[in-house]
Amino acid sequence: MPSMTAQKQTSLASPDAIRSYPRFLWWGLGEATNGGLGFYVWMFVLTAISLVGANAWAHQVAEGMIVTNMTDHVSWGLYIANFTFCVGLAAGGVMMVIPAYLYDDEEMHKVVIIGEAVAIAAIVMSTLSVVVDLGRPDRFWHLIPLIGRVNWPVSMLTWDVIVLNGYLLINLHIVGYLLYMRYLGRKPNPKWYVPFVFLSIIWAISIHTVTAFLYCGLGGRPFWNTALLAPRFLASAFVSGPAFIILVMRILRLTTGYAAPPGPARTLIQIIRVAMTINLVMLASEIFTLFYTGGAHGASAQYLYFGSHGHYGLVPWIWTATAFNLVGTALFFMPAALERGSIRIAACLLCIAGIWIEKGMGLIIPGFIPSTLHEIVEYSPSLVEWKVTAGIWAFGFLLLTVLLKLIATVFTGDYEAGPIRGPSSGQ
Amino acid sequence: MTVDNADDSSRDERAGTSSGPTLPILNQPSSRRTALKAAGAALGLAAFGKAVSPLWSIPENVSVDEFLQQHYKELTDDEKRRVFERLEAETQRQYGKDVTISDPPPIPGVRFGYAINLSKCNGNGACMEACNQENNHHRGVDQSYIRVLEMTKGSMDMEHGTTSYDHSVPQEDKFYMPVQCQQCENPPCVTACPVEATWREDDGIVVVDYNWCIGCRYCEAACPYHARRFNWEPPEIPADEVNPDQGYLSNRIRPQGTMEKCHFCLHRTREGRLPACLEACPTGARLFGDLNDPDSDINWVLQNKRVFVLKEELGTQPNFFYFFD
Amino acid sequence: MSGAAMQRAHSAPGSTTEPAPARDREVELPARSADSREKFTVSIRRPSGPPRVATGLTDLQGNAVTAACSTCHTTRPPDHENRRATDLDDFHSGMSFSHGTVSCLACHDERNYDALKLADGRRLAFTDVMTLCGQCHGPQMNAYNHGAHGGMTGYWDLSRGPRVKNNCIDCHDPHAPQFPKMQPTFKPRDRFLDHTRTEH
Repeated sequence: MPSMTAQKQTSLASPDAIRSYPRFLWWGLGEATNGGLGFYVWMFVLTAISLVGANAWAHQVAEGMIVTNMTDHVSWGLYIANFTFCVGLAAGGVMMVIPAYLYDDEEMHKVVIIGEAVAIAAIVMSTLSVVVDLGRPDRFWHLIPLIGRVNWPVSMLTWDVIVLNGYLLINLHIVGYLLYMRYLGRKPNPKWYVPFVFLSIIWAISIHTVTAFLYCGLGGRPFWNTALLAPRFLASAFVSGPAFIILVMRILRLTTGYAAPPGPARTLIQIIRVAMTINLVMLASEIFTLFYTGGAHGASAQYLYFGSHGHYGLVPWIWTATAFNLVGTALFFMPAALERGSIRIAACLLCIAGIWIEKGMGLIIPGFIPSTLHEIVEYSPSLVEWKVTAGIWAFGFLLLTVLLKLIATVFTGDYEAGPIRGPSSGQ
Repeated sequence: MTVDNADDSSRDERAGTSSGPTLPILNQPSSRRTALKAAGAALGLAAFGKAVSPLWSIPENVSVDEFLQQHYKELTDDEKRRVFERLEAETQRQYGKDVTISDPPPIPGVRFGYAINLSKCNGNGACMEACNQENNHHRGVDQSYIRVLEMTKGSMDMEHGTTSYDHSVPQEDKFYMPVQCQQCENPPCVTACPVEATWREDDGIVVVDYNWCIGCRYCEAACPYHARRFNWEPPEIPADEVNPDQGYLSNRIRPQGTMEKCHFCLHRTREGRLPACLEACPTGARLFGDLNDPDSDINWVLQNKRVFVLKEELGTQPNFFYFFD
Repeated sequence: MSGAAMQRAHSAPGSTTEPAPARDREVELPARSADSREKFTVSIRRPSGPPRVATGLTDLQGNAVTAACSTCHTTRPPDHENRRATDLDDFHSGMSFSHGTVSCLACHDERNYDALKLADGRRLAFTDVMTLCGQCHGPQMNAYNHGAHGGMTGYWDLSRGPRVKNNCIDCHDPHAPQFPKMQPTFKPRDRFLDHTRTEH
């Protein structure tokens, strides 16, 4: 593989011959599979994990969902927990779009496409998380409007399928269009993407709101049945999304030399400071209501934070999340977080992990414990569930790597030195 | 990550882009890199095929007809007949039993209601066993649509209840409350279903088209009564225990990966018969009838006993009632 | 309440003027007529007749020899004070009796031990035992007549088929009528549901 790096790519094609979309895709494929040893190792590892996940899922489909640890009592598990987090990640990408387009932040404009790429990968991961949760994936077509029979507009899950796919298409269009124009050396026409950017802002809010409505609309699950759920989802998404993007920008700088200006990361950290504070205030308010009022409505919270009737399965999870979130937030508020350095990275990692638990194992699972008949059946994911989830993350990273590689190639300084002006400066 | 290598390769690429982007593979079909990439892609595809190979067992279990089958409400009578014949043949093949799959429609003007006398129920669980046998439940886990809660006298809080009691019944300080599908007038499970695989019929019974359900389990999350069950694995039933009197929307053997629920034994009740759980009850605590008939026993209970429904505050409007003497 | 009146009360809706249902143990199935108002009956299972007492002897064919109650009771004077099994000086002493403080002869007819006796002294056949029970247990009888007490099988819809109901002594031992304790034998085996923690 190192020898491949040495292979020089030379261009023989005339500019006219390449001005077509299929060729652009072909070029993208070639570009996305070119790299150094580290790149190949990274891609190989991700592919391997994805395949392990695919294999575990295939077994699950063939043998039945008995291979998961879900039950009639806890009927959603790690998959839906992960789905919820990934939707938040996707929605969080919009926090780069808003400063860039609503507040005309010039520096943010240069890197906003990274947020959109993260959104694409996250949406794909959330869609996969739902697909692997289906007992009958062979009947997926029943969900497709016109061919199948969708319960629209009543079912929140139908809404979710629609908004998630819509968000994926919008972002694919924006990212694809900008890359294509850049590839052609043309200035992107704002008419072809700015309306979609504004649509994506509204849409990002909607995907996470609808995902929250999926849970908080269920009167039979008191733990979820709170009007604060959608605002909480949004607030935590505006932490996990930007924190993830900060990490991505750091990795890009280390691996490709694609250095973003310092401004965008600072803006994101300011956003995180506000969003995380709002998130924690809402969480505290939720906890107050549940515990101060007590009674059956607090039963899930009691189980989650302190255990119930001799069952303590989620207690370590939620206290880990609480500690991560509090420490992460404190780190974000340190002045050092505004500078590149380990504090910023640690804060991002802690908040991402904290929110992953808080929205997944700390929200989806306790909604089922105790059950609607107040029985306590505990849940911890089976090996198959961990494999499938790891596979989904690996595939998401695979996709993200490919997208970022293309973005880095077209948008790096060297490329800009060419005859082409970037879309960011085109505004 | 080896940063330097990655940078090198990017630079290599960029070097070629000065006169426009390159088409590395098209332009150098014989290069070693391209050949290696092709080999890698082929290897990757092969590995993927191997990884998902357990899926190849699906075509054995899911026929083309089953895969393409339309929603119950879109099937013509003729198509329904063919579907039932196919299902009967599949049951014969998989379970070794000749069964008859019928599809009795709701009786016009009838709305079913169920009531349980909690002063009589002693928690013996005969109803659960009858349900298991009547409805071709998975024998491996002794599945049933009914759960009986042992509740502490002096409290209606299910927090103080348990289903896992294992002593002689009734205990002095306990009362017993069976819970099954409440056949809500306003069923949250029907609202939740993304594909309309479950709906409320004219006689009030909430049914599932087991051949349309995608198995997302949103209805199970939505149900406040723990009334829904998922087929985590294919149900195991010995041939001599299969109940051959089956309904398409009721007790036919359910496929793996789909949702199921109590259907008030509609293959019996729409023929005028009593549900299996009622007939099995040794204490006579159960009562079933037509809510639209003012002279029915169930209406006598509603008018003369102090009746309550479970979780009334949720607005589900159950057609399932509880009362005490 | 006479047996006929009692049975009329729970006969099919819309046909309350129907005559009393069959006195036979067998369920009577009238042919289904074209008139949809024609209803099948609700019948009540009946005891086969006066009980007989095992003598402990067998006949030449090896069958147990039983005797009618009157075999012994015609030779012994009735005692109206007997209220418990322990009050008895001979025979029946092993039986458990737990039915309030009524005396044996409140229900058994001292003039004819193969029959029962209503409160007003009228004689009642064993097969009509429910009339006897209903004298005191009015609320239960009322609930029974409306299907709110007592097990049944058959059809909820009497235009399609008959219904058979248990009688009192199918479930209640008349000498110790409290419904017996039972041991649950069937329980869904849920994954991960901790059955050892039965008490919360």
